[in-house]
Amino acid sequence: MLRLVCGAILLGYCLMAQAAYDLQPKLVADNTWVLEGSTGNFSKENGGNIVNIAFIVTDTQVILIDSGPSFAYGRELAEAIRQITDKPVGTILLTHHHPDHMLGSQAFPHARVAALASTAQLMQEEGDAMAENMYRMVGDRMRGTEVVMPDSILEPGLLELDDYRLQLLQLHGHTNADLAIFDPQTGVLFAGDLVFYQRAVSTAHTPGIAVWLQDLDTLAALPWTVIVPGHGPVAGNDAPFQQMRDYLGWLDQLLTTAAARGDDMNRVMRSPVPERFAGISLAGYELIRTVSHLYPAYEQAYWQSLSE
Amino acid sequence: MYKSLLAGLLLGTCTTLLHAEETSRHTSTMWDYYHQRLLDNQEFVFDDRVQVNTPPFAEDARQVPLEIDARALPGTTRKIMLWAELNPIPQIMVVTPGEQLENLIAVRIRVEQATPIRAAFLQDDGLWHVGTGHIEAAGGGCTAPSVIRAEEGWEKHVGEIFGARHLRDNSSFLRMRISHPMDNGLSGGIPEYFVDHAQLRDESGRVLADFELFASVSENPTLTLALKGEQQARLWARDNNGNEFNARF
Ligand SMILES: [Zn+2]
Repeated sequence: MLRLVCGAILLGYCLMAQAAYDLQPKLVADNTWVLEGSTGNFSKENGGNIVNIAFIVTDTQVILIDSGPSFAYGRELAEAIRQITDKPVGTILLTHHHPDHMLGSQAFPHARVAALASTAQLMQEEGDAMAENMYRMVGDRMRGTEVVMPDSILEPGLLELDDYRLQLLQLHGHTNADLAIFDPQTGVLFAGDLVFYQRAVSTAHTPGIAVWLQDLDTLAALPWTVIVPGHGPVAGNDAPFQQMRDYLGWLDQLLTTAAARGDDMNRVMRSPVPERFAGISLAGYELIRTVSHLYPAYEQAYWQSLSE
Repeated sequence: MYKSLLAGLLLGTCTTLLHAEETSRHTSTMWDYYHQRLLDNQEFVFDDRVQVNTPPFAEDARQVPLEIDARALPGTTRKIMLWAELNPIPQIMVVTPGEQLENLIAVRIRVEQATPIRAAFLQDDGLWHVGTGHIEAAGGGCTAPSVIRAEEGWEKHVGEIFGARHLRDNSSFLRMRISHPMDNGLSGGIPEYFVDHAQLRDESGRVLADFELFASVSENPTLTLALKGEQQARLWARDNNGNEFNARF
């Protein structure tokens, strides 16, 4: 009797744990599905699901674009895909090395995991530390999650997977190792974290705002019809590009002006976020992070050598 | 002796009674210890005119920006002490200010864990006026490996000083970064090697303010100081290996 109760409780717990992410794939173009995460920050409640994961169902396989924040997410994702197609997930394309994008790969042991060489190197160097950090912020739902290193290296240009063609772009703005994927069959642009929409950008690993703005020009020039941002809602118009340019331009201006005025970090961190960005989630929070990471370079650019 | 102790007790009691609510954010388990160790048990008040500004969380525990603004304090300041209570190296700096130094200091420090930050100003009323801030940190800033030691040829740049002078609000704001690893002896078996002494001086070499620095200050120490009026100034700094560095604003 006791064992039965325990069993029932365990079963209930397992079911709860399994349904924790409540993933709802949304069709955004022919054979193209997106699982949209929240625009919040990592928390125990969301289990790290603040990210957009996408997949394309081709004639022969499922191509997954990023794998999610945890092993548990990956397992739920595998189940959600099975509800849609019985084709196997044959390929995972990782857009970059950030933990919310690459920690679900364990759930797809038969898939090739592919990334840019520079992304693979960053995963080697920082992957475990990033996973650890996720354990700290997300807690229990990270259980059992480990970094799966890529087994294939991607080159920019045309990628042919059986008969399905994807255009790969190697860009730099978000982490210095950013893959963007354009699907000429459907016109869908998988921008990775080069595009955030209605969610403040994370600048912790950017080589600089100027580089990022250039990448946006490159992406905007593609013949896209649908944009899948790394974070925030999918769009069928150029609103995400407009918002990104406006927001990055504001950050750049803010930091340049502050350095020229002689403000120290705390003052810059307290800067008000303009009204027009009120719809962007976590702008104040990300501003503090951005100032911490980028302001020293703006100071250095303004300063002169005083040594004598 | 007995009398002054009693006065101190009375004053302390009054302060507690009058400002019970305001002082609650100043309380910490380590206050008594540092009151004794750093302030020699001298009389003090918690004073919100001593603002200790910090970000709500430490994004980079190796470079946590502090901004101390006590310009609203009346009277003359004789001594300033900054420390982080729960750091392995708690002390940040001890300042002996001259007449010309404004009570505004910004500095970036390493933080090993979440900690109260204290700024104490000894005024000519004989009291330490103490302000409190708090840093939330995942930690590890003190034991993290050096960033600049990983850069090729970093030794050649040690002691280079970059910065600017800004005239604003009737003050000369002096901003600077000194290239230096500020090794604190807690990371990678590297012995202590840090800038431990600096002075602001005027054109004739007269000392405007004296700074004793500790290895809790971040590598490549980044400072904002302010002098009254439109002031030319020079910076002299020395590390514990005896290297001296000079700059002119
Ligand atoms: Zn990212």
